[in-house]
Amino acid sequence: MKRPALWLALFLFLLTAALLFYRIVWLGYPVFPTAPGKTWQLTINTRVMPETGEARVLLGLPAENPGRMVVEETISSGALNLSLTREGPNRIGIWSGPVEPEGQEIAYRTTILIRPRRAPPERPPGIGPYPDRFTREEIALAERLAGRWKGLPPSDLIRAIAATAGGEWKNPPPEMKDLAGWRALARRDGREKSLLLLLWAANLPARLVEGLPLSESIQNQLLTWIESWNGRSWEIILPEKGKVISDSEAFLPLSVGGVPALRVYAGELTEIRWTLSRQVVSRWSLHGERIRRSGRFLDQWSLFQLPPEFQRTFRILLLVPIGTLIIGFLRNMIGFPTFGVFMPVLMALAFRSTGLAYGLGIFAGILLAGYAVRRGLDKLRLLLVPRMSVILTLVIACFTFLALAGNKLGLREFMAVGLLPFVILTMVIERFFVLVEEAGIREGLRTAAGSGAVSIIAYGIISWDPLQLTFFVYPELLAAVAAVQILLGRYTGYRLSELFRFRAVGGSS
Amino acid sequence: MILESFRRLKQAGVLGMNGRNADYIMRCNPRSFFPLVDDKVLTKKLAESFQIPTPVLYCVVDRYGDVSGFQEALRGICQFAVKPARGSGGSGIVLIRDCTEKGYVTQSGELISPQNLFYHITDILSGIYSLSGLEDRAIMEALIHPDPVFDAVSYQGVPDIRIVVYRGVPVMSMVRLPTKASDGKANLHRGAIGAGIGMNQGTTITAVHRSRVVGNHPDTGNPVSGIQVPYWEKMLWIAARSFEMTGLGYIGVDLVIDRDRGPLLLELNARPGLAIQLANRKGLKERLDRIDQAPAEVFATAEARVQWAREAFM
Repeated sequence: MKRPALWLALFLFLLTAALLFYRIVWLGYPVFPTAPGKTWQLTINTRVMPETGEARVLLGLPAENPGRMVVEETISSGALNLSLTREGPNRIGIWSGPVEPEGQEIAYRTTILIRPRRAPPERPPGIGPYPDRFTREEIALAERLAGRWKGLPPSDLIRAIAATAGGEWKNPPPEMKDLAGWRALARRDGREKSLLLLLWAANLPARLVEGLPLSESIQNQLLTWIESWNGRSWEIILPEKGKVISDSEAFLPLSVGGVPALRVYAGELTEIRWTLSRQVVSRWSLHGERIRRSGRFLDQWSLFQLPPEFQRTFRILLLVPIGTLIIGFLRNMIGFPTFGVFMPVLMALAFRSTGLAYGLGIFAGILLAGYAVRRGLDKLRLLLVPRMSVILTLVIACFTFLALAGNKLGLREFMAVGLLPFVILTMVIERFFVLVEEAGIREGLRTAAGSGAVSIIAYGIISWDPLQLTFFVYPELLAAVAAVQILLGRYTGYRLSELFRFRAVGGSS
Repeated sequence: MILESFRRLKQAGVLGMNGRNADYIMRCNPRSFFPLVDDKVLTKKLAESFQIPTPVLYCVVDRYGDVSGFQEALRGICQFAVKPARGSGGSGIVLIRDCTEKGYVTQSGELISPQNLFYHITDILSGIYSLSGLEDRAIMEALIHPDPVFDAVSYQGVPDIRIVVYRGVPVMSMVRLPTKASDGKANLHRGAIGAGIGMNQGTTITAVHRSRVVGNHPDTGNPVSGIQVPYWEKMLWIAARSFEMTGLGYIGVDLVIDRDRGPLLLELNARPGLAIQLANRKGLKERLDRIDQAPAEVFATAEARVQWAREAFM
C-alpha cells in the first residue's frame, strides 16, 4: 500500500523538477521570479463635462520601446466607449460617447518598467520634408543660421542650437538682419517650433514630444520638449532654458511628433491629473511580457497568455491546493479540529476581500446569530431541508444587512460580505449546533476556534505575493504539491494532539 | 521532548487516528459493506441469521404517513426504545418505560405527549440524527433492562460493552458506564466512564473519565475496577462472529447485557474510536500487530479466535 504512493509522489516530484529545469535553463525563466525590479506607476485621472453632442477625449498613453515596457494597464471609462489606437509612434486612448450632465470620470493606470541600458537598438530616424507652414524664406533663414555651425559633431551641434533658445548664439554671431528675422519667427511660432526648424535645417532629426519628467509627482499639465537624434540616441532639449539632457530615460513621452497628448472634442475636462509614483515590483511581470511574445510551446501555454482579469483568478486558485495541503497538515499531523476540509479554505478566500479582522468578526457574528436561531428552530421541529433553508435565508439576510450597514458607514469590508461562502456558513451553523448538542459547548467552541485558526493560516499563505507569483510562473509546482499531499495521505504516525490525548497510555510503560 | 513523547507512544503500541484510518479502516473495511453496520435494521437482520441475539424489534417506521401507525404496531407494549436506524453516538434515542393516559414516560421520568413522540419520529425520518444527514427510518425495539452487575457503578441508563475486533479476533474491550454528566447515556464524549476489561477473565481493570484515569465512579463513588463481567465468553464469541457477519476486518461491537436475555448485540461500528486505549491504558497497535503475526489456524473458527485472544491478551 505504501509503495505505490511513494512512487507516485516521486514521479510527481521528478516531473516538477524536470519542467522547472527546462524552463530555467532553456527558456531563461528567473530562478527567483519575485526579485524586485524598478517600475513607475502612471495614473491619469480626469472628468469630462458635457457640451453639445458626443464628447471625444484623446489621451496620449505610454508606448513601448526596448527601454520601456508597459507591464499592465487598467482603464476605466464608465459609460463611455473606449478604443486604443496607434498614430505613428503614438498610442492613443479614445474615450467617446454622450456624457451625463454630472460628468464622467476617466481613469487610466499603468505600470511601466524602465530597463536601463536596453535602450535604442532604434533605427536612426530620417528627416522628412519641412512642414508646409514655413515659407521658403524662413527655411532659407534657418539653413543660413544653422550653416554657421557646420562641422560640429551632432551632440555639440544640438547643444549649440539649444543655447539659442536662451538668446545665446555661439560664434560666429549671426548677422543682425538674420537675428531680427529669427526673433520675429520665434515670437510667432513659439520657442519649440523655431528650435525644431533650426534643428531640421542643421540636418538633425528632431521631434516635438509631450510627456512627463520621471519623478514622483502630480502634474496637471504636460511638459513639452524636443528630442533630437545625435546619431546614437535621442537628446532632450528643454526649450524653456535651452538645457540639453542626454539621459532620455529621465522623461516619459506620451506623444511624439507634435501631436498633442490631450485632445478634447465636444466636452470639457476638469481637474486632469497625471500622477507618477515609483514602485518596486517583482521581475515576474517583466517575464510575463517576454513570455507573452515568445513562440515557445511552454510560453505559449503559460498562464501569462490569459487576459489579465483571468490571470488574477488563477493566481489565487493555484494556491488553494497549498491551502488544503496546510489544512491536511494541521488536521493529520497536528490534530486541529475543523469544520470539514474546505470550510477554512473558502473562508480564507473570502478574507481576501473582507480583510482578516472583519472577515473573522463577521464569521463569528453570523455563526452566533445562526446558532441562536437554530436553537429556536429546534423547538419548531422543522424537517431537514426546510430547516437548512431557513438558516440559509438567515445567513443571506445577515449578509444583506451587513452590506447595507457597510454602505451607510462607508465600510467596504462589510459590503464585500457577499463573497463569504454562504453555503458553507449555513452548514457550519448546523454542524456547530449538532456538535454543541452532542459533545458540549466546549467542543463546539474548540472546533470553531480551530477552523478560525486554520483559515487564518490558509489566508496568510494564499495572500503571500511571492508565493502567488512563483506558482503563477511555474504552475507545474502543483504536481509537487500533489506529491506532498500524497505523502501526507500516507502519514500514519501520531498527531501532535494525540501525544497529549494518550499521555496516560504512554506514561504507563 | 516531543520526539520523546512520540517514541513513548510508539513503544506503548498506541494506535493513532491516522494509523487507524489508513492502515486498518481503509485497508480492512470495504466501503460497500458499511451500510450493513450503519443501518441498525440491516444489522439486526444479519445478526438473526447468525443466531446472534439482539433486542427485539417491534416495528420500523420509514414513511411520514406511517408515524401514527406505530401505536397499533406496538399493541399495548409500553416499554420500548425509539432509535434512528442510522444514528451515531446515541443521539436521537428516546427510552419509554411506561404509557399513561397523559402520554409516555421516559426512562428519566419525563412525561412526553404522543404528539411530541410523533414529532420526534418525524425528526428521525428527516435525517437529523443520521450519519450522513440523509433520510432515515425510525425503529422501535424492546427496552433493555440492564443486568444488575453494573448497578453500583452507573448513573441511570444502560451500560454497554465495546469490543474491538480485528480480522475476527477480539482485541480489546471496555464497558461504558453512564454518569450524571453524560445524562445517563453510555457515551464517552458526553462524559460517561470507560472501564477497560481484561480479555482473559472479563474483569474490569482501570477506568477513564474525560481522558483522566479514575478509580471510582464520580456519582456513586464505588470502585469501577475488579467487576466480573457476566457472559464474558459468549460476548467474545458474538464479537468474533461479527467478522463473518459483516466482512469488515476492523470493527467495534457494542453489546448490552439484558437482565432476562443475557448479552445482546446492540450495534456495530465500522469506525470504532480510539478512547478504548485510554480505558485499558494499553495500545491497540501492539495487539493488532500480534494478531497479524498469529498462525493461520487461529483464524479458522470464531471459537479458535476467542481462545487465542484470551490467551494472548492477558
